[in-house]
Amino acid sequence: MSASAAMLPIELTVNGQRRAIEVAVHHTLLDVLRDDLGLTGTKECCLVGECGACTVILDGRTVDSCLVLAVEADGLEITTVEGLAADQGLSLLQQAFLDKGAVQCGFCIPGQLVSAHALLADNPHPTVPEIQEGLAGNLCRCGCYQQISDAVLATADGAGR
Amino acid sequence: MSATRIGTSPNRVGGLGRVTGRNDYVADIRLPGVLEARLVTLDCARARIISIDTSAALAVPGVRLVMTAADLPQPVPRFGPQFEDRPVIAVGETKYHGEPVAIVAAETKDAAEEAAGLVRVDYEELPAAFTLAAALDPAAPLVREPALRPNDRLAATNVLREHRIGWGDIDATTADVIVEHTYTFPMVTHFAIEPHAFMAAPDGGGIAVWSTIQHPNWLQKVIAKVLALPLSKVRVFAPDPGGGFGGKQHAKLEPLVAFAALRAGRPVRLVLSLEETFQAVRRAACEVRVRTGVDRDGSLRFEDITADYLIGAYADIADRVVGKGSYPAAGPYNVPAVRILARSVLSHTVPSTAFRGFGNPQVNWAVESNLDEAARAIGMDRRAIRLRNLAKKGDAFIPFDTPADGDWEQTVRRAAELIGWDAPLPPGHGRGLAVGIKSGPTTGLSYSTVRLLGDGSVVVLAGTSDMGQGARTVFAQIAAMELGAPLDWVTVVMGDTAIVPYDQQTSASRSTVLMGNSVLQACRSIQAQLRTMAARLHGLEESQVTVDRGVVRLPNRELSILEVLEPGLGALGGQLTGNGEVRKDAEPGHPLGGSAAFFEFNCTAVEAAVDMETGDVTLVRHVTVSDVGTALNPLQVTMQDEGAAIQGLGHTLMEHYIYDEKGRIRNLGAIDYRIPTSMDLPLELISEAVENEDGPGPYGSKGMSEGALLCVAPAVGAAVRDATGVEIRDLPLTPERVWRALRDRPTA
Amino acid sequence: MHTFAYARPTELAEAVALLEAHGPDARLLAGGTDLIIRLRDGSARPGVVIDVKRIAEMRPSIREEAGCLVIGAGTVMSDIAADDRARRVFPALAEAAAVVGSVQIRNRATLAGNVCNASPAADTAPALLVYGARVVAVGPAGTRRIPIDGFFVRSGVTTLARGEIVTAIELPVPERAMGAVHVRRTRRRGHDLASVTLCCGVDTAGVTRLAYGSVGPRPVLGVDESGVLADPAAPDAVKGPIFERLFVDASPSARSMRASPEYRQAMLRVLGARALRVAIDRLAQR
Repeated sequence: MSASAAMLPIELTVNGQRRAIEVAVHHTLLDVLRDDLGLTGTKECCLVGECGACTVILDGRTVDSCLVLAVEADGLEITTVEGLAADQGLSLLQQAFLDKGAVQCGFCIPGQLVSAHALLADNPHPTVPEIQEGLAGNLCRCGCYQQISDAVLATADGAGR
Repeated sequence: MSATRIGTSPNRVGGLGRVTGRNDYVADIRLPGVLEARLVTLDCARARIISIDTSAALAVPGVRLVMTAADLPQPVPRFGPQFEDRPVIAVGETKYHGEPVAIVAAETKDAAEEAAGLVRVDYEELPAAFTLAAALDPAAPLVREPALRPNDRLAATNVLREHRIGWGDIDATTADVIVEHTYTFPMVTHFAIEPHAFMAAPDGGGIAVWSTIQHPNWLQKVIAKVLALPLSKVRVFAPDPGGGFGGKQHAKLEPLVAFAALRAGRPVRLVLSLEETFQAVRRAACEVRVRTGVDRDGSLRFEDITADYLIGAYADIADRVVGKGSYPAAGPYNVPAVRILARSVLSHTVPSTAFRGFGNPQVNWAVESNLDEAARAIGMDRRAIRLRNLAKKGDAFIPFDTPADGDWEQTVRRAAELIGWDAPLPPGHGRGLAVGIKSGPTTGLSYSTVRLLGDGSVVVLAGTSDMGQGARTVFAQIAAMELGAPLDWVTVVMGDTAIVPYDQQTSASRSTVLMGNSVLQACRSIQAQLRTMAARLHGLEESQVTVDRGVVRLPNRELSILEVLEPGLGALGGQLTGNGEVRKDAEPGHPLGGSAAFFEFNCTAVEAAVDMETGDVTLVRHVTVSDVGTALNPLQVTMQDEGAAIQGLGHTLMEHYIYDEKGRIRNLGAIDYRIPTSMDLPLELISEAVENEDGPGPYGSKGMSEGALLCVAPAVGAAVRDATGVEIRDLPLTPERVWRALRDRPTA
Repeated sequence: MHTFAYARPTELAEAVALLEAHGPDARLLAGGTDLIIRLRDGSARPGVVIDVKRIAEMRPSIREEAGCLVIGAGTVMSDIAADDRARRVFPALAEAAAVVGSVQIRNRATLAGNVCNASPAADTAPALLVYGARVVAVGPAGTRRIPIDGFFVRSGVTTLARGEIVTAIELPVPERAMGAVHVRRTRRRGHDLASVTLCCGVDTAGVTRLAYGSVGPRPVLGVDESGVLADPAAPDAVKGPIFERLFVDASPSARSMRASPEYRQAMLRVLGARALRVAIDRLAQR
C-alpha cells in the first residue's frame, strides 16, 4: 500500500539551502522538489527518463529527477532552475535564452537550462554538435533546438576569453 | 521614444518567468485543500461495462470520492464541439483504449493511485474496429449507434460524414498522362511536453476551472451547459499552456473534473501522465487516393482525390478537420477540374482532434507526392511543374473562396534558390520540393480591451492562448507601438474568462490577424480619445490633431502621449479604455461556412542523403520559406517555422502509434514513441519569410506557424525518391521502411 | 508506485546478508535508470530495495590492477566514456557507454547495473564480451570472477546466485593489440534503445571477435579464429559464410516494436561488415 509508506528523514541542500524533511521512501526527487518543497520550476512529463523536463543537478551532475528516489539524494546537493541565478537576477545563460528566442511554450526550458548550465561548466566552449549531443536528453516539442543551441553558444562566447 | 516596435524582435513577453521556473502552468497551481485525482481505464480497445465495484477503492485512507457514470446526472451529459457525442465519463461501454470509466479523488496522489488500482470493473471485451479497413468493412461493429443518427443515410456505417468539393467537369476532362496512387499517413500524437492538466473548484454558486485549454471561452460554454449553470457562474482560468498544437483546443476531462469538484465540495486536480495524453489526443490517420491528370506541357488538367480520415470514437473537432483539411487538397494551383471526396471514419480509437495543419498535412503528403510522379512521367523538372501551375496573386484558384493572396511564385523561387535546386548533387543525395496551403480562419470573433493607464503604461486584455507561439509578445508590440509605451510597460492579461473579453478560439494561426486587429482597433479607439483630449487642451479642432504610433501631432508641434494624457486626465487621474471587436461572420452556403481570412503558403525544399544499406535518411539541408505578409516579430516567425518543420519531421521520419491485434496501443509513453531530439535536426535548417505586407492583419501581416509543417513529408519523400529511385507512399519513412522499399524494388 | 522497505547499507557484508535473506523479494538500486521505471510501472514489486551507493567497495572507480582495468560497480557510463584508459585500451566499451541514453541517464546508469539488468539490448554487453570481461561478484560463499560469456541467461536473468552482488567488472588488458568498435542501429539519431547493438574486435593474431545484442534473448559472442574475417584482402564471398556462422544464434523476437526480425537480421550483417572494416582499420593504426 503506497498510501501508508514509511517516512524517512533526509537532508537535502537545495539551491544552497539546507532542508531537513521527511519523505515517503518511494517518492522521487521530482515528487519531493515539486510537492514537498514547493519548487515547481522542475517539470513533470514522461517519468521514464526520456524527456529531461525534470532535469536537476545532483551531486554535481545532471540527472532525470524522476528516476531518483528522494532518499537516494540524502546528504547531497541539488541545483534546480530556481537556483541557477543569484537572487533576483538572471544568469548569462538565462539571459541568452531570452535574447536568442530559445523559449516558446517554456515547459522544457527549466530542464534545458539546467542541462546547458552543466554542459558549459564542463565544456566552456562547446561546438554545435557537442551542444546537440549534450542536450539531446531534453526534448522540445516546440522545436526550439537551434535557438537553444545559439543561446548556449552566445553564453560561451559572452563569458569572456 | 524608440522607433517602430513592429518588425523588431524584442524578447518574449512572459519569457522571464519561463527561464526562472517561476511561470505557473496548471500543474504548478495547487489550491488549498485540493484533492488529487486519478482515472480508471480498461486495458482493452472496446468493452461493455458490466459492473463497477468501488468499495475497495473507497476504503483506502484518504480517498474522498470515487465517481462513475452512475454518480452523474442521468442521462449522463454529453459534449463535443461538433456533435455532443462524448459522455462526461464512459457510459455502459468504453469505445477506445484509455476511455475513463471512473475517477478517484483523494487527499494524496498515492492514495488516489492506490485506490484507482482497486476499482474493480467487470467488463466484456467487444470487437473493435481500429483500422480504416476494419472500420469501413460492411460487417464492422458500429462506433456510433444508428439510433443517434436519425435521418442520416450513413447511420449504418462508420462513415460519420462525407465532404465533397469540386469544380469543373472532371469526367469530361482529358489529360495526356494520368498518374494514380494511394498514400497513407500515420496516426500520431501531439506530445506536448506539458501533459494536459485540469483543476476545478466550487466557486460560490458556480465553479472555477483551470485547464491547459487553448479555447477558454469555448470551455466555459461547455462547462456551463453540462453543469446547467449560467456562463457568469463559470470562471475558466487558462494559464499559458506548455505546448498545445491543437491538442488542447477542446474540452476533454474538464467536465468530469468539474462534476467531481462539485460532488466533493472541494477543489479537484487531475494531471494526465504522458501515456494518458496519447490516449486523449491525436491526429487523424489518413489514406488518400490521388488521380492526377497532366498534359505533356506540364499543365495540370485535373485532380481527383479521395481521402479517408480515420478519426476516433468521438468526433471532437475531427470532422471539421476532415472538411477543412481536404478542402484545398488540390493545392495552390490553377486546376481546371477538381473532385475531392473526404470522409471522416469513426473507429474505436482515441478521439482525433485538431493538430497543427488541421487535416492538410495528410492530403498534402499525397497530392504533392503524386504531382512529382506526374512530373516524372512527362519528364518535367519538379520545380518547373509547380511554377507552371501555381496560382498567381488574385487567381480564384478555389472558385468560391478567397483568391490567392500572395506572391507564391516568389516563395517557391526563394526556396529553390536556398536549396540550390540547380546545383549538382553528390552521389547518394536527392532533392525534393513541395508546396502547400492551409486556409486561415473562416469565421471568427475576437474582442479585446486595452487600457492606457495614468502613467502611460498599458494593459491589454486579450483572450488568445499563448502556448509558445508568442501571441502575448505580438499584442504587446502592437500596443507599445500604437500607444508609445516601452514594451516592458505593457502588461498582457489572458486566460481568465471573468476578466478578459470574449475570444472565440486560438487556432488556425488566426490570432495575429483577428486578435491582433482587435487590439489594434482598441488602440485606435484610445488614440481617438487622445485626439479629443489634445484638441480640448490646446483649443484645436479634432481634425487638426493626429495620433500616430505613439506621437501626438498638433499643427505646430509634436507631443508624447503622456504629455497629453496627464493634463488630460487631470487631478483625479484615471485611464483611457479602448475596445476592439473583430468579427468574421459565417457566409451562408459556403462549403466551409466562410472563406479563408488568408492562406498560409509554404514551400519546403530538402536535400537528403540515404544510406542504401540501412535505410537511414539524413537531411543534409532543409529549407522552409513561408509567405507571412509582415513579420511582426521576425525571430518569433523563424521559431514558429523551424518548430513546425521539426515537428513535421516527426511524422515524416519516426512517429506512429503501434497497435496490437486487439486495438490496444503498444507504444504509450516516451520510450517507444520517438519524436525528434536535438540530434535529429537536419544538418542545416534554414527558414525565411517572404514579406510583401499583403496580409489582412496588423501592418499587413498574415497568420503563420502551420505552413512549414504541411510540406515536410512530401519534400522529404521526394528527396528520398530522388536519391534512391524508390517511391514510398507510406509514412513514417523509418529506416526500416526505406530499407524494405529498397530491398523490394523491382530490379530494372 | 508501490512502496517498499529501503535499506542503505554502508558495508558490503550487510548488503550481501540482506540480499541473501530476501532473495527475489529484494532489488539492488545503483543508478536506478532501469529499476525506478519498473517500480513505477509495477513490473517490479520488491519488498526491499537495497541502495548500494554508499558501500565503500561499490563506489565509482576505474583502476588498473593486475593487468586489468577494474571498473567499480558504482561507476557510471559518463565516467567510462570519458576515461582515458578506457578510451585507449577498450575503445569499444567507451563508445558503447557514450550512447547509453542521454547525458542524464549516463550520469546515473552504472556498468554493473547494465550488466545485471541483462537486457538483451544492453549496449555495453557486446564490448564486454569481445574484451573478455569478468564480473566480480561477492556473495555468501565468497568472491567469484564470472566470465561475461555465459553470464547472461535471458532478459533480466544472469547466473548470479542468491545473495551475490557485483562489485566490479574487470577487463583484462588484451595480450595482443586489438582494433575494436561498437556500432548499433536505432530509430533516430537521438538517444534510443538499440534494435541491433554490436561490437567487433580484430587482434594481431587474426582472431575476430564479434558480439551482438538485441537479436535474441541474450547477447551472443562469436569468434572466428580462421583469420579470414581479419584479412582485409579476403573477398566478401569468402567472409560471408563465416559471418553467417557467427550470426547463426541470432533469433530476433517477432513481437518487438522496435524492428522486425528481418530488418534486424539484415542489419546484423550490414553492421557486422561495417564494424569489421573499422576494427581492421583501427588495428592497423595501433
